[in-house]
Amino acid sequence: MSVVAHLPRRVLSLVEEEAPDPPSMNLTGRERMTVSDRTLAEQMFTEFRQDPRHHEFVLGCLNCGECTTGCPAARFYDFSPREMLQIAQTGDATTLWDAMQEKIWACCQCYTCNMRCRFGNDIAGIISVMRELSVRHGVEATRRTLSPFNRSLTLLMTVGTQVSSDMIQPDFFRDWGPFAAGSEQVWGVSAEVMRKAIPLDVLQTTTSSWEVSVQTSLELFRIYEQTGVLDMLRGLDPDLTEMLVDLIEERREEFTEARERYRTEIERMHGPVATFSG
Amino acid sequence: MLNATQIRQVIEERTERRHGTGKKVVDVREEMDRLEDQGELIVHRIRPENRPVEMKTLFGWTKRIPTNRLWHHKSCGQCGNIPGYPSSLLWVMNETGRSYLNEPHQTSCTAWNYHGTATSNPVALAAVAARNFHRAYETDNFPLIHCGTSFGDYKEMRKLLVENAEIRHKVRDVLRSMDRDLVLPEEIVHYSEWVQAMTPEIVARQKIAASGVVATVHEPCHYYKMVPEDAIYDDAVYQGQRPAVPTGILLALGATVADYSTWYDCCGFGFRHILSEREFSRSFANLRKIRPMVEEAHSDVAITSDTGCVTTLDKSQWIGKAHGQPYLLPVLSDIQFVALTMGAHPYKIAQLHWHAAPVDRLLDRLGIDWRTAKTEFLDYLRQLKSGGAPELLHPPREDIERFFAINKGQVLPDETRATPPPSPVPVPSAGRGGR
Amino acid sequence: MNPILVLGAGPAGLSAAAELASLGAPTLLVEKESYLGGNPTRWHYSLLAPDLRPAEEILGPLIQRVEHNPKIELHTGSLIARAEPEGKGYRVSLQSKDTVQTREVSAVILATGFDHFDSRRKFEYGYGHFPDVLDFKELEGMIHDDKVLRPSDGKPPRRIAWILCVGSRDIQIGNPWCCRMGCVVSIKQAVEIRQKHPEIDAYIYYMDVRTYGLWEDLYWKSMQEYGVKFIRGRIGAVSLTEGGKRLIATGEDTILSRPTEVPFDLIVLASGMEPGTGTKEASELFHVPVGPEGFLTPKLSDMNTIDSGLPGIYFAGAATGPKAIPDAITEGMGAALRAFQYARE
Repeated sequence: MSVVAHLPRRVLSLVEEEAPDPPSMNLTGRERMTVSDRTLAEQMFTEFRQDPRHHEFVLGCLNCGECTTGCPAARFYDFSPREMLQIAQTGDATTLWDAMQEKIWACCQCYTCNMRCRFGNDIAGIISVMRELSVRHGVEATRRTLSPFNRSLTLLMTVGTQVSSDMIQPDFFRDWGPFAAGSEQVWGVSAEVMRKAIPLDVLQTTTSSWEVSVQTSLELFRIYEQTGVLDMLRGLDPDLTEMLVDLIEERREEFTEARERYRTEIERMHGPVATFSG
Repeated sequence: MLNATQIRQVIEERTERRHGTGKKVVDVREEMDRLEDQGELIVHRIRPENRPVEMKTLFGWTKRIPTNRLWHHKSCGQCGNIPGYPSSLLWVMNETGRSYLNEPHQTSCTAWNYHGTATSNPVALAAVAARNFHRAYETDNFPLIHCGTSFGDYKEMRKLLVENAEIRHKVRDVLRSMDRDLVLPEEIVHYSEWVQAMTPEIVARQKIAASGVVATVHEPCHYYKMVPEDAIYDDAVYQGQRPAVPTGILLALGATVADYSTWYDCCGFGFRHILSEREFSRSFANLRKIRPMVEEAHSDVAITSDTGCVTTLDKSQWIGKAHGQPYLLPVLSDIQFVALTMGAHPYKIAQLHWHAAPVDRLLDRLGIDWRTAKTEFLDYLRQLKSGGAPELLHPPREDIERFFAINKGQVLPDETRATPPPSPVPVPSAGRGGR
Repeated sequence: MNPILVLGAGPAGLSAAAELASLGAPTLLVEKESYLGGNPTRWHYSLLAPDLRPAEEILGPLIQRVEHNPKIELHTGSLIARAEPEGKGYRVSLQSKDTVQTREVSAVILATGFDHFDSRRKFEYGYGHFPDVLDFKELEGMIHDDKVLRPSDGKPPRRIAWILCVGSRDIQIGNPWCCRMGCVVSIKQAVEIRQKHPEIDAYIYYMDVRTYGLWEDLYWKSMQEYGVKFIRGRIGAVSLTEGGKRLIATGEDTILSRPTEVPFDLIVLASGMEPGTGTKEASELFHVPVGPEGFLTPKLSDMNTIDSGLPGIYFAGAATGPKAIPDAITEGMGAALRAFQYARE
């Protein structure tokens, strides 16, 4: 399982796909951008400034630093919400690109900066807008950052819950200790039996947080199809997306079969089967 | 160039967005009513059978908390990692005779994913919220949100759907394509608010005194830092300077609530971090939260009211001994603590065996015989292993519901099942002197 | 002539009453508290900027001119419970401890002042939680008595931090305005402490330093002559050191763009100015409009802050917005003149 796979960032930043631009004055010490990077960065920056949320979330800044001071991520990473807001307010394509290489992913989304900001900016929100852009355009650094999330994304897209008890394998969450996973070594029974001991029927599964009905998961997928989420995901990971589409196709078949199987009951409880869609 | 008057107008408009005096933040509920009159959406009203209790929000506005006929909007993290969280809540509802619906026709809010990976967008998030709202509406049960992030997200999405006509219409089209419609609940209600509203009935059924326990409270960020005007405040709790939940119920149960310097800090969950940057999550949780809770406040237990916070604060401690931080402070949700003081089984109901930081010392302090309870639980596991039927808090879903969100009406625990409150006043158990 | 009512006996009200008396006008001075001098008396202000003269030397003579003045009828521990227009002036009911009396006044000066911001509302600084986190008004009294000691253990501090703009310039707590005084008073306190105790280190955390006008001199001298250190950035969290003996202030140094974490023995909060409770009451009593900030609104703020535009009502001091003591005293003089002119017409 790849959930916890975490490659050292220093190694990752050495990856370069194209020859860099001819050397120019680089006073900021930023990583150099390739020509295609620059084109993409400029396109994203334009989209960024045109996003209606930009106008709504970014009001002004006294540069007081109170957001960064309260920021949990700023304690452990080279990250500052103040800098993110400055990029949104006065930055350019290069600064946005620079932030997308790593920094936007340090944010914890705890909204402490929003609560503290003396100017009333929505800093956590504007960071999300930057993240969405980098996902939609499949920025390489973003693909790397999100690569450990295939499993939870699959769960999310197919049943709409992000964790399952079988994700918390003792081997992969060794730092959580022997009790966290309700493991066999401690309790002498399998994970399935541990889940059976929860007094709520829909929780007695190990493959998702709770059992989600097929109709519900198909409705969720329809939302993803119609609101552009599937397209976003395609930008990030085309293979994963195709696999999800196949999975959902299977669920649709399952649903159609079940509709026939339960025809009598549906008609009794709901009315004509024909109008009953998933 | 703007002239002086125009500049002043701009500044005024901006300050009006987040003005702390309470007069200037638009009450989204009023706007919602107006949109309903125009046929733009349906408001899911709180009705007398929901038995609402009135509370005050940050700006002193009234918020009605329904206490009956509730649709459980479960939390993916709770159900996955801390199943004692939802089971304690449903158990307390059974004990207090409140009816509810717990069904498989719900998705998570998907906001964990959004805040972690941004592979979504506001229209999709709003549509997911509205789908779940509609499902609750068609079953005639009022949504009760278990998760702090879902609560925060749904507050944001309700605001977005009210304020932004373009997104509203997009979402409505998506919903109509699946025979649903745009429904927004009159209030977005977090389960901890339900607990606060139920205080008198909970206290009346308290069987185990909490007066020997010193608790510290971690306030979930998404409960009060997102759309702050919807959070509950009470003058009796920190003079109304901090949210009333979950501190209120702890005080009512007689626990000592101890303050600590970093109460406002996040837990370190980070959405993405708890899975792929765990060294961050555990460092933050141990250094910024657990350490002050233990060293400053000398607390016996950390109480919080959100999924991610219980997970991070609890699971991060085991490895702490490798970093010279051997705290192992028990971490519980408020509702687990409530259930324990009402006499719930520590393992069968509160499911404490899923917690990484041991709770034995806390149970001793509460005077709960966990050794006997553990033996019972191990017996129960053996029965299940050999094919025994599980004990359930409510009748199981029908087989057809594995596939279809059939609307079978509200059938779950009826109010006559409530256990009557015990008459004697709880006697303090072995407390400790000198605190 | 009916007496002229002066509401509030802080620097502005004292100054107005003293000037009215010297003009020969009968004056009714009403003060809610039992003492004269307002916030400076209440909190035992020490030296006043910019000349670092003791507050007593400024307020003492004013109080002397007012007390036992045959032209001034002084009511402390009293308030105006009701007011309604009567002829050119007002009929007011004056409520003292046990008595209520109805009086007619020919004009009114509202000198109802400000309240210091309650620093508990900015909880991240731990005020009210850690004994060694002080409000600067409390430090003022300590400096005045030359007893700058840590409340937790009574020991002298080795390093002190000042945090500016606590409860000012902040939309989150609803106070977007600048208090005008926080910078200069904090710098003055740091200078006073360094003068007497050069062994104590002084750090000031600021987002802008607004020692406007001639006060800039004090700012420069504080660095040049007294070695006060300035760090641009806000402290966002206060916690304890390992042993729990000292405070740690955590923040971002926004000039160096890097985190700062410094142990301190005392942390001092420059709390802002909010409209006083008396100001809110006065606005309701006399139907005076208030701005979005809650301060009384002069007729033409661009011209002067004394004329209310309402018949017979004048303002002095911090009732219309944050003011320094000399400004409040000067406005008291101006308001006295305007009220006297109105009453005599």
